[in-house]
Amino acid sequence: MPVSDRRSFLRGAGLGLLGFTVAGARVWLTPREARAADAELQTLKPDEAVSLETIGEAFAPGATEAGIAWFVDQQLGVAPNDSLLMARYFNVPPPYTDFYRASLDAINALSQARHDQVFAELDRDAATGLMREMLAGDPEGWQGPPALLVYLVLRNDAVDVVYGTPEGIESLGVPLMAHIEPPSKW
Amino acid sequence: MATTETDVAIVGAGAAGSVFAALLAEAGKRVQILETGPARELDDLYSSQIWARKLKWAEPHVPEINPQDSLSFNFNAGRGVGGAAVHHYGVWPRFHENDFKERSEFGKGLDWPLEYADLRPWYDRVQKEVGVAGDAEQEIWRPPGDPYPLPPVPRFAQGEMLAAGFEKAGLNVAPVPVAILTRPYNGRPACIWDGWCDAGCPTGALANPLVVYLARARKAGATIQADSHVTRVLSNPKGDRVTGVEYFDAQGERHELHAKLVVLTAFTIENVRILLNSAAGKKDQALANSSGRVGAYLMSHAGVIHSGLFDDDTQNHLGISGGQIINQDHFDKTGGDGAFGSRQWIGGLALKPNDLLGIAMSRVDIIGPELEPFMQNAAKKLAQIVAITEDQPVEQNRVELADDKDAYGYRLARIRYKTSPDGMGLWQQAATEGLEIMKAAGATEAWHGPKVSQHIMGGTVMGDDPERSVANSYGQAHDVGNLFLGGGGLFPTSSAVNSTFTIHAVAMRSADYVVKNWSALTD
Ligand SMILES: Cc1cc2nc3c(=O)[nH]c(=O)nc-3n(C[C@H](O)[C@H](O)[C@H](O)COP(=O)(O)OP(=O)(O)OC[C@H]3O[C@@H](n4cnc5c(N)ncnc54)[C@H](O)[C@@H]3O)c2cc1C
Ligand code: SF4
Repeated sequence: MPVSDRRSFLRGAGLGLLGFTVAGARVWLTPREARAADAELQTLKPDEAVSLETIGEAFAPGATEAGIAWFVDQQLGVAPNDSLLMARYFNVPPPYTDFYRASLDAINALSQARHDQVFAELDRDAATGLMREMLAGDPEGWQGPPALLVYLVLRNDAVDVVYGTPEGIESLGVPLMAHIEPPSKW
Repeated sequence: MATTETDVAIVGAGAAGSVFAALLAEAGKRVQILETGPARELDDLYSSQIWARKLKWAEPHVPEINPQDSLSFNFNAGRGVGGAAVHHYGVWPRFHENDFKERSEFGKGLDWPLEYADLRPWYDRVQKEVGVAGDAEQEIWRPPGDPYPLPPVPRFAQGEMLAAGFEKAGLNVAPVPVAILTRPYNGRPACIWDGWCDAGCPTGALANPLVVYLARARKAGATIQADSHVTRVLSNPKGDRVTGVEYFDAQGERHELHAKLVVLTAFTIENVRILLNSAAGKKDQALANSSGRVGAYLMSHAGVIHSGLFDDDTQNHLGISGGQIINQDHFDKTGGDGAFGSRQWIGGLALKPNDLLGIAMSRVDIIGPELEPFMQNAAKKLAQIVAITEDQPVEQNRVELADDKDAYGYRLARIRYKTSPDGMGLWQQAATEGLEIMKAAGATEAWHGPKVSQHIMGGTVMGDDPERSVANSYGQAHDVGNLFLGGGGLFPTSSAVNSTFTIHAVAMRSADYVVKNWSALTD
């Protein structure tokens, strides 16, 4: 039986699963490396990536550096049936890009309405306060997908990149014990 | 359009489809399985909760009328060779004797057109073929059956601590019966208790279709054709004989596979959608639907997960995703508090940090700087139990066709579902009892999550009366002699046990019937 399978990595890479473009060249990177290398985003606009990073960071510190924006961006570029995003478990209707755009817009609009600032400019207490509002249901004036759904999906994305990777699991003092390591670092 | 021809066309390469395929191919029939998802082998099953999502459903999208009672279809349904059974947890209890005649015995729900005793030989045979592990004597509530062929799963710290809690709360426990090998069996290796089952077990220790019935089907000459999305069953103009199926390949090209006999095993929702989209006969009536019951009696187990934090290390990374201990004390149907039905506990699930059933998800309110200390602590000190509760077959809970269409121009399935009042009552009882169990086990803090949906059943229920059910006890459509159905969609009642052992037993009984009656069925 295959226990650790190097071929899987090569096949994954061959399918373009980890492809990022850095300075015009196609390379295979983890989201963390993609962020560090400032790889080109395929779907998200730069301001959307910044929003996603600050929201992810507010949910799970470390999400920005772990490459949440690059992880989500890359997964928005694959067919829904191949997607690794938690959004699919919550029955979000494809294409998932529409959901992410609408969610980020709704959070920023809420932030503007409450604090006259976009979410990325909020201090920690204000950011946490908005999230608690979302957890309780649609805040007054909320316009977007159900706030609780947005909360759950984005929190899970942040948790995925921080704790769902082999590195993240081991950071909790838990042995990975993988039968077959995933073809990427997440 | 390309047309091919075979003896048996099977739609869906999951749990039920693979049993039909193995038995019919072994009986010398030409068998072709059409599977909408990709080909899948054991070395595609990466140990990652993130990668595990690729094994499940996303499209065609299935909208829900009542999202607050979501059936979590995308999570519960698999897509690809092996179906949801590839990543299922292998918890395999049997239905109980009193699950089969609820209408006659209790005036509730529906009757099955068979009794437990009719199905028992197939439970016993399946259990021997796949290798089920358990302790029949400790399962004091277990219906009659052969002893398990394999010794039970071991208990790690979490299992021990929770078992003590159950016992202190006056409840019995036994090792959870599983289709997972506790020692090598029929050329497959024993489990190594690393808890990666949700991502699919790539070693063959868990009896998923790839290592048992699909392997047998392949060996006997069955063809498994991936990336083939079936849209309709083809029939004669009257709609009382099927002639094959229509499907589309990965390039979107239309094909017809003509067959003497068709088996629909595309899981609850797609089985219904295919029938409803296969209009035949007068008034464009959906195939096999003279009863008007295609789509009706949709059911799901309402589940509740309790978490507890302990002072001692629970070793929650060890074991199997399906748990270590089981309790079925609440199976006499009295329910209490006016709620009818059964409910079951499983304890000691092996945990991973992320994903829908992961550690972080158990406390969605914890965010920001508080998350890391919680994760560090819970990764060592958390324990979980999960209850599943019986749902009632309600005619208005159904799969129906939506107005929106898929890429091939066929209407999407839409779910109209609300957990039955009895199901809600049982859920509430479990939510309360779970906290008592956790407290008795010594948890310093305990809480439970929201209602979750597990196992989707009904929609094409079997019954004696062709005016009130879709198929007979063999899954043979009442209206169409050479059309068979498989899967939990056939179940007229849901019990409160995980469904896949029963899916196997029912499918094997049906496949035996087809083999025995082949000439009569196909002439
Ligand atoms: C996380 C999880 C854990 C579980 N754990 C347990 C457990 O411990 N014990 C238990 O008893 N059960 C468990 N289950 C449930 C179990 O997986 C199902 O009961 C079982 O797989 C259902 O069998 P099936 O043959 O009806 O469907 P599946 O095994 O899902 O097979 C159906 C197949 O049909 C294919 N299909 C669908 N539509 C079409 C189409 N139009 N054309 C062609 N092919 C199509 C699908 O892609 C799929 O491959 C679990 C499920 C999940 C999701
Ligand atoms: S815990 Fe056992 S059954 Fe689960 S994936 Fe590992 S070896 Fe397979």
